[in-house]
Amino acid sequence: MQKQITQQNLNALLDTLIKEGKRVVAPRINAGTPLYEPLKSSAEMITDQLPKRSGKEAFFPLCEDIMSYEKEGQQITLTDIDPARFPETVLVGVRPCDAAAVPVLDAVFSWDYKDEFFLERRKKTTVIGLACTTADDACFCTAVGLSPSDSKGSDLFLTPLEGGGYNCETFSEKGETLINKYKELFAEPDNATTIPLARPQTETFDLKKVKAWLDSHFEDPAWDSVATRCVGCGACAFVCPACHCFDIVDEGTEKSGKRRKNWDACGFWKFTHHASGHNPRDQQPKRYRNRIMHKFKYYDDKFGQTLCTGCGRCIRLCPVGIDIAAIVEEISKKQE
Amino acid sequence: MCDHSNQNIYLPHLATVAEVIDETPDVRTLKLVFQDQQVRDSFSFRAGQFAEYSAFGAGESTFCIASSPTRKGYIECCFRAVGRVTEELRRLEPGDSIGVRGPYGNSFPIEEFYGKNLVFVAGGIALPPLRTLIWNCLDLRDKFGDITIVYGARTEADLVYKRELQEWEKRSDVRLVKTVDPGGNGPEWDGQVGFVPTVLEQAAPSAENTVALVCGPPVMIKFTLPVLEKLGFSDDQVYTTLENRMKCGLGKCGRCNVGNVYVCKDGPVFTARQVKAMPLEY
Repeated sequence: MQKQITQQNLNALLDTLIKEGKRVVAPRINAGTPLYEPLKSSAEMITDQLPKRSGKEAFFPLCEDIMSYEKEGQQITLTDIDPARFPETVLVGVRPCDAAAVPVLDAVFSWDYKDEFFLERRKKTTVIGLACTTADDACFCTAVGLSPSDSKGSDLFLTPLEGGGYNCETFSEKGETLINKYKELFAEPDNATTIPLARPQTETFDLKKVKAWLDSHFEDPAWDSVATRCVGCGACAFVCPACHCFDIVDEGTEKSGKRRKNWDACGFWKFTHHASGHNPRDQQPKRYRNRIMHKFKYYDDKFGQTLCTGCGRCIRLCPVGIDIAAIVEEISKKQE
Repeated sequence: MCDHSNQNIYLPHLATVAEVIDETPDVRTLKLVFQDQQVRDSFSFRAGQFAEYSAFGAGESTFCIASSPTRKGYIECCFRAVGRVTEELRRLEPGDSIGVRGPYGNSFPIEEFYGKNLVFVAGGIALPPLRTLIWNCLDLRDKFGDITIVYGARTEADLVYKRELQEWEKRSDVRLVKTVDPGGNGPEWDGQVGFVPTVLEQAAPSAENTVALVCGPPVMIKFTLPVLEKLGFSDDQVYTTLENRMKCGLGKCGRCNVGNVYVCKDGPVFTARQVKAMPLEY
């Protein structure tokens, strides 16, 4: 379904949704930092900056309770989390690199055992993507097969028009339901021109070649040369839309507390450290190798998808200037 | 595929500590009985599978289920108190509550071992992952040929399941070869003195129609596999169980992988052939 919506009507739509009690998550400024966060009003939404962290938080929070415990004498009582408490959500203004990561995450949280914390939120969320009109030199979505207008992961996709407003295209029943419910806010598409979209400068990677090289180079001097300088801060994983490794920790006392699922990062030395002292990834290059392998080989082996959407956040943030796009490009050139 | 829809996959079952057994000064066995009657009746597992054990307030720790699936009504775990969670688990007393999630992972294909001789090779704290299978096989004794157990530890004090070692020693249908590292033997020691791989080589079990089940620290595995090869075992006749740090146990949290193999889902039981194909990341 193709429609058009003015900026004013988009704002009206978001304000109506907020009034109805839905959680509307969009890029907004929090203490100077753009982040995907729940809006109090549509006026808070910004569309000109890529949030510092990705949109995955709408489904997979940085930190969340997965149960609580209480101890009375020798007896323990566990309290489950009721998934009914996850609110109906509209995630809006999501960049294609963030939206595209959502179906990638679906794979890991739904294969075999179902993670209801992710899946229930996913079920209750409508994703409204927004095409990018600007890109910086860290953006590389086009290198991993996506684009500034890619609708992957979006239920409804907005493309900005010259003179204001957006073209709207639906890609799922959820998108159609939303338009049908608020149809007075949408208009039939006319021939309005869309604003020229961003054109990231990185060359397209041959992901098959990248994987082929990774298949046969677990041991290679290249890992030392690219990652000896990695300080293991884990920032790359924390800003990544597709990274999903997590920790399970108890927070509380012996008497009562909560068990939580927190984001974790394969760059941390403790991530694979055994209590015995043994660590299978005992040096930073081995940990960085896992990051690249997981994104461009292991996830592909298991789920047939690449665990990177080219958002470029890890490149912008890395304190020692490690550039994943440059590394992957180099790998693709090594493979005949 | 498992159907766990609309369930919190991270929510443990509660169990009561029924018995506490000190195996060594820092290794302890907990015998656990599920508190919920329905769970007690329905909980079933296969030898080789593992679980996540909760000490609430400290967190979860991963160990194999050390008791045999043939022994109903309870499970046992055995661990060394070396970290935050295991120190807390060691503080538990009979009557205390513990959380258990599982069973997870694959298991030993015991049916494929029917009619064959079995050689168990274990070192130190790595006997529990094989002990589940040892008792499983002993409880179905007529389904197997000769059973040999080679077990060693650094010192006499470090041997776990000492009472069971005596029991196996007395049985005429089990050959137990126990050993301690040189210098680890006291004046009363009546076993071998030497490292497990050496003692295994001397014991020289026949590879014919035999399966070897090996578990131990990486260095023991490293020197045991060539000995088995020398004795004529092919890589498909040798099984081991790997251990990597885990959190979820469900193939999601992303830390137990060895290359693209997830120990929690694809393992923990692997053949030597599978292990040799893996990168050195365990």
